[in-house]
This record gives sequence, structure tokens and C-alpha cells, in this order.
Amino acid sequence: MRNSKKEIKEALTKWEDEVVSPRVKKFNLDKSPTTFYPPLSSDSSHFMEKVGFPGQFPYTAGNNPFEFWRAYANFAAKVGYRSEWGGTGRSGKYGGFGTPADYRDYLLRMQSMGRIGGPNIAFDLVTQCGYDSDSSFAEGEVGRVGVAVDSLRDFAVIYEAFTGPLDIDKVPSNFTINAPAAVLIAMYVCLAKKRGIPLEKLTGTPQNDILKEFIARGTYIYPPAQSLRLFRDTCVFCCKHMPEFNINSIGGYHMREAGATRVQDLAFSMANGIAYIEAGIEGGLEVDEFAPAFTFNAFGGSMEIYHEIAFQRAARRMWAHILKERFNAKDPKSMQIRQPITAHIGCSSTTLQRPLNNLARAVVGGMAAGMSGGIPGAFPPFDEPLGLGHSQEATQLQQDASRIMVFEAKVTDVCDPWAGSYFMESLTDGIEKDALAELKKIEKMGGAVAAIENGYMQRAVAKSAYERQKKIENQEELVVGVNCFTGENEIDVSINRCVEATYDPDLMKTAEERQKANLARLKRERNGTAVGSSLKNLKVQAENQDKNLMPAICECVENDATLQEICDVLREVFGEAKPMKI
Amino acid sequence: MGGDSKIRVLIAKPGLDGHERGAHVVAYGLRDEGFEVIYTGLRQSPEQIVSAAVQEDVDVVGLSILSGAHLSLTKKVMDGLKAKGANDILVTVGGIIPEEDKKNLEKMGVGGVFTSGTKIKDIAAFIRTKLGESS
Amino acid sequence: MVEEKLKLIIEAARDNNERALAKLISHVEDRKHGWKDVMKAIYAKTGRTCVIGVTGSAGAGKSSLVGEFAKKLADLGYRIGVIAVDPSSPFSGGAVLGDRIRMRDISTNNNIFIRSMATRGMLGGLCQAARDVVRIMDFAGRDIVIIETVGVGQDEIEVVSASDYVVLVTYPGGGDSVQAIKAGVMEIADLFVVNKCDRDGADIIVSEISAMLDLSADAGEEIPQVIKTSALTKEGMDNFVDILSDFIQKKKKGPHHQKEHVRQEVTSILETEIVNLIKERITGNGNMEKELELILSGKSDPYSIADGFVKRFSVIKKLEDKRKGGFQ
Repeated sequence: MRNSKKEIKEALTKWEDEVVSPRVKKFNLDKSPTTFYPPLSSDSSHFMEKVGFPGQFPYTAGNNPFEFWRAYANFAAKVGYRSEWGGTGRSGKYGGFGTPADYRDYLLRMQSMGRIGGPNIAFDLVTQCGYDSDSSFAEGEVGRVGVAVDSLRDFAVIYEAFTGPLDIDKVPSNFTINAPAAVLIAMYVCLAKKRGIPLEKLTGTPQNDILKEFIARGTYIYPPAQSLRLFRDTCVFCCKHMPEFNINSIGGYHMREAGATRVQDLAFSMANGIAYIEAGIEGGLEVDEFAPAFTFNAFGGSMEIYHEIAFQRAARRMWAHILKERFNAKDPKSMQIRQPITAHIGCSSTTLQRPLNNLARAVVGGMAAGMSGGIPGAFPPFDEPLGLGHSQEATQLQQDASRIMVFEAKVTDVCDPWAGSYFMESLTDGIEKDALAELKKIEKMGGAVAAIENGYMQRAVAKSAYERQKKIENQEELVVGVNCFTGENEIDVSINRCVEATYDPDLMKTAEERQKANLARLKRERNGTAVGSSLKNLKVQAENQDKNLMPAICECVENDATLQEICDVLREVFGEAKPMKI
Repeated sequence: MGGDSKIRVLIAKPGLDGHERGAHVVAYGLRDEGFEVIYTGLRQSPEQIVSAAVQEDVDVVGLSILSGAHLSLTKKVMDGLKAKGANDILVTVGGIIPEEDKKNLEKMGVGGVFTSGTKIKDIAAFIRTKLGESS
Repeated sequence: MVEEKLKLIIEAARDNNERALAKLISHVEDRKHGWKDVMKAIYAKTGRTCVIGVTGSAGAGKSSLVGEFAKKLADLGYRIGVIAVDPSSPFSGGAVLGDRIRMRDISTNNNIFIRSMATRGMLGGLCQAARDVVRIMDFAGRDIVIIETVGVGQDEIEVVSASDYVVLVTYPGGGDSVQAIKAGVMEIADLFVVNKCDRDGADIIVSEISAMLDLSADAGEEIPQVIKTSALTKEGMDNFVDILSDFIQKKKKGPHHQKEHVRQEVTSILETEIVNLIKERITGNGNMEKELELILSGKSDPYSIADGFVKRFSVIKKLEDKRKGGFQ
């Protein structure tokens, strides 16, 4: 017999009075430390509208009944596939260091060991901020957090590791680059042209998410509005000439790591996404022409497993509605959040204290991913906070944890297992509601760019970061081994770690000198006149808001103009972004 | 210290590292501990940091570095402070600092290294103690 | 008399030593032992400097603007001091002073000395400490001192009244930026700058302000200029600097110590001293408990209590005056 709402409500009150209250009193508490969600919490009669089937609007339950990796999971198990090394057609391990030749040699060494994934390049801060290795800003930073790239020549040197069966029409290229993304994309294009490879064959993903830089990551160059103009140009160019290449990898991961709350993460990501879609449309494109090429960079970032599952569901639903109702998208791919990896705990959830515990933590994130439509990856490896590279042991444990979740726990054999749960639907609705309210606030200010220009998003993130710190310091939030369970009886379990000598410290020491020499040689050998005239042309084009700068940037790149020379021209025209006062 | 005096701390991010969370949290935290915190923001050259430290007559310079360039950047700041006759200023470093580098920094004259998990209260107490010792 | 150690610092500050100047400022701002003697000693050698006060609501881009025009003035050869003021937390007494963030480009300029000051929450205290720091920068040879304040409020009006020239900065999209300009500030501003003029609405604000100025001006009275600038695109910056330079030149030719400013200075110092005295002797440190109890129990009222204190106070004053032979 069906229970009516009234019945359940009465039973709830009775339960609270007769079961919960006495128990709370018995243990001398102010309130119950647990909550329970009876059928009143959410209206699950709107299944089709609010949840839907996996692969159907609003995609709450997932983008597909199963992803490609699930299709091949059992096969992968039998052949002992190692995902982080990629394979033909897949990305390799994220990395980069030293001069282009240093990184190329490292890649060749990896390839000789069977690690044949496509380039997944980290650039040094000098490159990310649009400077050359001989700039005064470059001292001490060249080749450190990534590889130094000052010119097309440098770019081509890295790609000497990708020829023949690993040529760029066969492997995807990922570039973690934002402010000067247009220049790196231009280098990719020019390289393809040099090799006679048609642009339509190029695959991969540039991060190209400048708005989050102002909020969370700090490698910006130009003011927000002008940065969006550059984005618009890359968006239109990629859409028209490189249809297989993703346009960006956007989203809140970095904002969450910088301290944003879950709701802020979702709202700010949607606001930024909207700004990017609007930029593409301003560039003359139809939404379905380019939105399918948007990707998102692993939403996630806390230990609260239920909330992170709900977050993924809410995010998918929000984006789907925004694309459908606001932008009239018709293609399902426009409305879906394409993420290669999804929920995870975030590096800032790991602790330096008793680092092996980070494996247990990463598994929580993996479960959140596995139960919300993603690969259950145990990210990051436990030694992430030690700051010296991931050891082979940590990587092995990470891989195995993921495999255990897939094959032993069978977490990914069910799509959206929490669909219909009174609790999860209520939680999903709640996160969506709060994020929509925050998004409305930003829209009232004039959108993401306005909310960055007036410092709203930056200050919100800084404030949230401080709130969390205070909660941890006064034990309102408990972090094991950091602010609780730190007594003398606890032991620090450690294992021998072998960090693969990927980045030769001797090479690192001389990288700056050698790269400066490369740069000097380039400047001697290239055709200075051609460089000068192509930079001049770029300036003229940049001064006209309606011009797409990609052809002019490609011309500069082809003539061996350096990254900074190109960025400096744009600095002259666009100005530089001013840092935000906190 | 005089009747109205406050402990003045300069928090700076040298180099190109753009991760500000730690710097923000420490700035707000030390404010709530009653300190006056001058925050310089991102992309500070060692010269800019030294100039600010001298002009603001700070008691402490806190460097926040997550890019791995901490040894070279800190050295430049320490040298710069010395050249201006300001090497009595307490210098601390925070961010991503591997264990073995902590000793190297201390050899340079850095008074304390505060990495992930440090409590703001402890930083404040450390500063008060160190400054109390030297006055 | 100023002690030896301090004398050396004072000389070094006069001699262009930045560290000495900074130390001197701290000594006086902190009200450390002997600070008043320092001020007495240096006062005669001041009065050369032209003080430009910059005020306006948060978000107007004051710091960026100050950074821009300070640089231009420094390029013209002027030696500049900048005082950037931010509020202290009323709870902890601490502060985050973030104006330097916007002044990165000028922070190593040899001709520019930037000092961040917190309001330190004292009634009238800000104005006096900031005035003192202006004097010190003046003494140390700065041709121009720019005071940049928190926003638009009572403290700010006072600080800015210590300036020779007041610039009020507003911007389009600043909400009720024009309405928010309190009457007091409107009256003392010598120049109105509509910053961020690269945004829509700048011209509307210019006309609104001009209209307000026209309305409140007496016939024949010269009304202040209203100009547009953009620290981002540099539009209007040259004009802005020209107007300031004009004023600075005029000021250089005028008398060293303006009577009105000196009157305000004496008044401000006196008010601070007396308020401190009241706090020390009367209202602070639990000195009033008995009197408060009387009020709470209905046996008296605040007005009567205050009257009683004033009577007592003038007795104390008379006694002290007798000792010092001061004026009556």
C-alpha cells in the first residue's frame, strides 16, 4: 500500500520525538550528528525532467550509458594497460621540464620503454606568462614547472619526439596554456603545415581558460575583456580549421583548489562557460558549431563524497539547461559536460602529514567519480604534497586502487546509482539551487568579466579559503593527522619511495643558460625584417576589435617571432591586467 | 615597542607563481592576530620586495613560493635586504618547500619555513617570540 | 631633546636615506618615546611640499590612478612620497594594506617612496599620524606627497583637509557614485576625476557632477574641473598630470605654511591630546564605573555625569596650567 505524504510527515515527526530526541538526550548532545532523508525530501516523480536516462537531456545521470573506457575495461585488464602512459591515439603523462631538447630526449626515452602517449605538455611559468627565457621575469624560472618554449623552433624540437607512427595526426596534443594559448595553437598549426599534415587531422586540447586565471591561478597577461577577444579568435579559428581539436578545458578545479566553496565553483564555472559561449557567438558561430568542442577540466575537489557526487549531477543538469534554454543548442554534445576525468578530492585535500593517508583519501574521490559517471581515479598519488615528483610506488598504488574500484568493487557497473535516492536528489537540487542564486548575482553584475573586473570572484575565493582555514584551526573541520589524532601514539607509516629520475637535476641547473643561448641563436639566424613586418601587421590587426588575430599570429610564429615579441605587441594594444586588491 | 606600535609584516610572492591561496590566508590570518600586513600581490621581483620591505619598515618579510624556485628567489631577496642594511628583518618562507631545502634556506638566514598544515596562530606566535627576543 | 640615535636617523632621512626615512616614520606613527620631540625638531624645515589628497569610493581605481600619475610626475623630476591608507580591523586592530598591489610598477622607482598606513582606529588619530608622516616626508625632501585614502567618510574628509589639493575619484558603474559623494567632500575637492572612462556611462557622470557643482557654486565663483581618465588605456592621463603640475608650480611660489592648514594642524593635535587625556583619566580603564552605575540605577543621567566630569577636568587643567604657566 502506498504511503501518502501526510502519513510520512506524521511518521517523521513521531520518529523525531520518540526515537531521535531521546537518543540525542541520552548522549548529552545538542542535536543528532546524523541526518536521514525520508521520501519528503525530494519529489522523485519528475524523473524524466530532473534526472532522465544516461545520455538524455538533462544528462543528470550521465552523458552516455557507458564511456569508451568502460567498453574496453575488461580488455584493458587482460592486456595490463597502463593508462597514464597513453597509447596510440591517447594522451601521455602530463609533464615538461628544461629546454625543448631536454624534454624531447626525455619523451624519446619514455617511448623506448613503451610509453607512447601523445604530448601532454606543461610549460614553464615564463612561457605561461608570455615572456621569453631571457626576460628579467625569467630568472630562476626557466624550465622549472614545465618546458620552456620561446618560439616555433622550440615547439618543433619537442615534436621531434612525435614522428612516424606517433606523428601529430595520430596522437592528441594537450597544452596546459592559457594567456598565450593563441600563440601555442598557432605553433601547432604551423608545425602541421610544415609537416604537410592537414589541420582537420589535428586532435588534442588546449586549456585556454583565461577567466579562471584571474580568479585562481594567476598566469594572466591582458585584461579580462581583451583576453576574451583572444579566446574568441581561437574559438572561431579552431572551429573552422581544426574541427577535431577541442577548444578549451575549462571549469572550477583551480578555483576550488584556490579555496572556492563547492557552490562558488559551480556558479563561477557556469559564469565563465557562459562568457566563453558568448564569445564564440560574438565571433559569428552557431552554438552547435563549437560548443561540442568545449571540454571541462575535472570538476571536483573535496573529501565530501556525497556532495561531490551531487555536484557532478547538478553541474551536468545546469550546463544542459543553460545551453538549451539560453543558447538554443540542439546538439546533445553542446549540452554535455565533457570531462576526461571527473570527481576527485583535489590536491589541496591531501596532507603533508602522514602522506600514505592520501591514498585512502584519493579512494574516496575515486568512489565519488565512479558513482557519478566518471572513471574512478585515485587522484592524486599519495606523495603529491611532498613536492618532489610522484614516486613509482605512489603511482602503482594509484593505478591499482582505481582498478580495484572498477573490477573488484564494480562501482562503475551501474550508471548514476544514486538516482532516485531521496537524499541524493535533495542534495543535487540544493547545490543547483544555491549555484543558480550565485550565478544570478554574477549575471546582475554583468557576467563573468564584470565580476572579475570588480574583484568579486577573486575576493569571494580568498574569503572562502580563509573561512576554511579558520574552521580547521578551531577544529570545526577535522583533518586526520593535521588537527586531530596527532598524539604521540600515532605513527607515521612510511614506505621506500623511488621517484623516477625524470627530471635530471643537472639538466635543470643549466636549462636557463642553454635556453638563453638557443634564443640568442634564433634571433641571429632568423629574418629580422620578416619578423618586424609580421609583428607590425599583428599590431594593426589587434587594434581592430573585429579582426581574428590567428592568421596574423600564425604569420609571426612562422617567421620565428618569439612568444614574448608577439605577446608584447598585444600588451601594447590591450594593456596588461591589473592585479586585484584583496 | 611603543604605545601604538603594531607588528608589520610584508607578504610577497616573488617570481611568476600565481597561486595566492596561502598568501591570502596568512595575510587575513595575521590581520586577525592584530598585525599590519602589507600584501604586495603577484609577480614581485626581488628588488620590488626589498624596496617595499625597506619603505614599509616591516618587522617580517614572508615569501610565498610554490614554483620550486624558492632557493634562488630567496637568496636574491636576502642579498637585497643585506645591501640595503636591512638584514635585521626576519625573513620567513612558505609554500611548497621540500624537507631538504628547509636547511638550505635556514643557512641563508631564513628564520622559519612554514608549509602546508601550519596554523596561523603558530606563525603569529613564532613571529612574536622572535621579535621579542631581538628587542 | 631628541636622543642621539634618533638624531642620526633624522639626519640620514634628510640625506635621502630610505631606510632612515622609513624608520623615522615608524617611530612617529607608533608614538614611540620621543616622537613629539622629533616632530618639534623637524617642523621648521618643512612646508616645501605640495600635498595632494586622493579620495573616492572603493573600486574607483584610486591606487592605479595614483600609481600612474606618480610615475609621470617622477619622470618630470619631482621626488614623490605616497601614503596609502587602509582601514584597521575594529576587532583585532590589525589590517591588510593592499594598495601596493596596484603600484607594483613604481615600487622600485628611485624618486618614489610609498608607505602604507592603517587607520589604527583612533578618533582623529589617523588624521594626526598621517599629517605627521606628511611632515616627515616633507622634511626628507619630497616635493610632492600624495595621500590616498580608504573611501569617502569622516576620517577621509579630515585627512584630505590636510592636503593642498584634493582629487575626488569616481567611476561609471560605481552604483550611486555621485550620490555617495558626501557633501563635505564635494566642497573641498579641487578636481573631479571620472576614472575607468573606457567604460560606458563616464560622460553621464561628468555631466551629473558638473551640474551639481554649478548648482552649489556662488555667482562668479570658479568651479573645479571635472575630467575623464582611464588608468587602463591611459586616456586623459596627460591632461590630469598637466593640471596637477600647474597646481604644484603655483604652490611652490606661494607661502610655505598656509595659515588655514596650520590652524587645522594645531586644532587636530590639540583635539587628539584632549581626547587621549579624557580616555586616560576619565572614560577609560574602568574609571567611570561608579558614574555608570548611577545612571543605570536611575539616580543620574549621561548629561549630568558629563557635566560633572567637565567641571572636574577644568580643575585639573587649571592646576596643570599653574604648573606650566600656560595660557588661560
